[in-house]
Amino acid sequence: MLSRVADTIYWLARYMERTQAMLQVIRIYYQASQDSPHDFSWRPVLYSYGHLTPEELTATEGDTPRVLEHLILDKNNDASAFNNVLQARENARAAQDHITRDVWQCLNDYYHAIRGGDIAQQIRYGDPMSGIDALMRHGLVFTGAVQNTMPRDEGYGYLTMGRLLERALQTADILRIRWVNSSENLQNGREVPELRYLLHSVFGHELYLKTYRGNFNPDSVLQFILHNSHFAHSLSSCLNRLSWYFERLRADSLPESYERLEFMVGRLTNLVKYSMVSASEPEQLNEFLLETRQELLAIAVAFGKYYFGRS
Amino acid sequence: MTENSLLHTYQEQPNIWDEMFHAEQVRPEYRSFVAAIENLPRTEMTRKDELAKKLFMSQGITFTVYNSGEGIEKIFPFDIIPRIIQHQEWKHIEAGIKQRLLALNIFLKDIYHQQFIVKDGVIPATLIYSCPQFLREMINVEVPYDIYTHIAGVDLIRDADGQFYVLEDNLRTPSGVSYMLENRSITSRIFPDLLPKSNVQPVKDYPDLLFRNLLALGNRHVSDPTVVLLSPGIYNSAYFEHTTLARLMGIELVEGRDLIVHNHHVFMKTTKGLKQVDVIYRRVDDEFLDPLVFRPDSALGVPGIYAAYRKGNVAIVNAMGNGVADDKAVYSYVPEMIRYYLNEEPILNTVPTYQMSDPDQRKMVFERMDKMVIKRTNESGGYGMLIGSSATEEQMQTFREAITEDPRSFIAQPIISLSSTPCYINGVLQPRRVDLRPFALYGPGGIDIVPGGLTRVALQEGSLVVNSSQGGGSKDTWVLGE
Repeated sequence: MLSRVADTIYWLARYMERTQAMLQVIRIYYQASQDSPHDFSWRPVLYSYGHLTPEELTATEGDTPRVLEHLILDKNNDASAFNNVLQARENARAAQDHITRDVWQCLNDYYHAIRGGDIAQQIRYGDPMSGIDALMRHGLVFTGAVQNTMPRDEGYGYLTMGRLLERALQTADILRIRWVNSSENLQNGREVPELRYLLHSVFGHELYLKTYRGNFNPDSVLQFILHNSHFAHSLSSCLNRLSWYFERLRADSLPESYERLEFMVGRLTNLVKYSMVSASEPEQLNEFLLETRQELLAIAVAFGKYYFGRS
Repeated sequence: MTENSLLHTYQEQPNIWDEMFHAEQVRPEYRSFVAAIENLPRTEMTRKDELAKKLFMSQGITFTVYNSGEGIEKIFPFDIIPRIIQHQEWKHIEAGIKQRLLALNIFLKDIYHQQFIVKDGVIPATLIYSCPQFLREMINVEVPYDIYTHIAGVDLIRDADGQFYVLEDNLRTPSGVSYMLENRSITSRIFPDLLPKSNVQPVKDYPDLLFRNLLALGNRHVSDPTVVLLSPGIYNSAYFEHTTLARLMGIELVEGRDLIVHNHHVFMKTTKGLKQVDVIYRRVDDEFLDPLVFRPDSALGVPGIYAAYRKGNVAIVNAMGNGVADDKAVYSYVPEMIRYYLNEEPILNTVPTYQMSDPDQRKMVFERMDKMVIKRTNESGGYGMLIGSSATEEQMQTFREAITEDPRSFIAQPIISLSSTPCYINGVLQPRRVDLRPFALYGPGGIDIVPGGLTRVALQEGSLVVNSSQGGGSKDTWVLGE
């Protein structure tokens, strides 16, 4: 497969995964903003998904409609959901002969939905939750089209690895930002809503309830997000599947490229698997998550260098 | 004409050949089609029209217009009424194009080698050497099987006398073939069963024929050659066509940045390292192909590709330097080329062409500018053109000044009245002007022309400009079997 095409497909998947993750975070923050509007701030989300100056941040953080416009629909915000979908679609256009027509059409529909029309109106003037839900459904249709129509070839491998790498990054980031901002409350085990928001943000609330039968304690939540093998967004689950898909690439790789990446993916998978972090030691957790993040980014750079022909 | 409401409101235009009607009677080749639609209610025709539009959009058969960095998908307008050509007429067209292509190909071989045609005084040397598309770099380059014009899209028009005239030979990177294929596929959806019933010849073989020819060029090197399609990328207006052809042939769609030249061989960068490329179907113009030889600022090409080509390590389709043969000033010499190289009389007519570099012809054209079409010799797509009958005095003066300053860059032709054909517009049949671009494939085994082509339509009432960039649309083109 052409390096450029592999790179394009990989980034297509990363943009789509990122969009889905950020929409879920925005959705949950929006809910929180409605639950307790007085001591609520959008600052952590704005900080993660935008490039506002400190003055702009202060002016925007309490203004929910303005925040939603900036994070979801703003064409001038490089990190907005709109620009993510636009980038995903441009990548899909450049690899149109390597993705199925169904996948291309899903993305095309998503783009037309987010660039104007009913959904944008809903977010701006109606019920933002309905608007965000409608956008996320487009994301789910895209995932379904990939699952059902894409051949299980090298291209599918890059698509899936892009998705898993981005998902691991998002899970590490969401966990770190949420935990750092609420660590005192969480350590005391007092703030159950914080834990619920965190689980919702990573799509894990339902499975957590089933697994721990409603027992909310910070350590269980932390171990669930880091290690639960049935939870598709847990760090371990993402890395295990990343390893699995990477192994399938062996036959289509240069041996030296494969060995380098195999070492890096293996090392990170084991780092997470044998980590000993506890909710009661937030600094150690923060350090661990930052290290995980660095390793994930190093894997992304190595993919670029050894597989996508980037220097 | 029947009393059907759809048909009886249609008005033939005086002094213009109508493809469907003659003296208020349906021409024989259209009878089967007219019989199928004449009893359809107007709502059904409109439904078909809407269905066609929906199919184009949902299947992504679009071109992209970039506004403020954001791509907007647009449909290339499609008219649901097909243009039908009878079998005998097609045979004539086919023979004419084959003859022309053969002569043009020999001309290219000659002009880049011994130049007998110049030495024998058939074509003036100044005309050749003043042509910007004449590439000195191609002198004495041996191309595979001596074929330069692997893919040609010859533009034909029909005058009021019913005769076909060649308007242009597109021998560089002719486009539009994907629309020929897609138009047929849409027609089969909106008029089920009508194609087989009307004995319409298929066009679906085009990608197979092209791929067979491309593979044959690579056989000089290896048993299983690697063929790629080189595209300028997603911002090119014909990008849809590039992806369609790559997909239909099952070949890799590459951009310049995917290729690298090492030791005079071309490689593509894959996830498994470098892989040698043997044949390149390029959709990048000559001047952008190799920044080391042509335009140094080109980011679309591949440095060193010309040297690899010259050494015979890679086949490039179409050959470089073909522009000298489809130059609008050289066009008027094609009948002479046919007589000179083939010792035959031209089968297809050529539009009389006046060289603006000739002072007498220039004077005559300046005096009768309102009856002339003035064209720039190196422009296409309907750009750089003045149609005298609809031009203002100011526009004519601008052209007069430009011609006087650089006469070699202009030619003039009398205004040919393009034939018209009924189009379904706003719920009624209306006459619109059309041309025809059949696509010819020249391979080591000979010349193949799939029976059909792209019929382009000037959608604006009274307009003679059919180019898609100037508001033109297209129709499916049916060539009937025996």
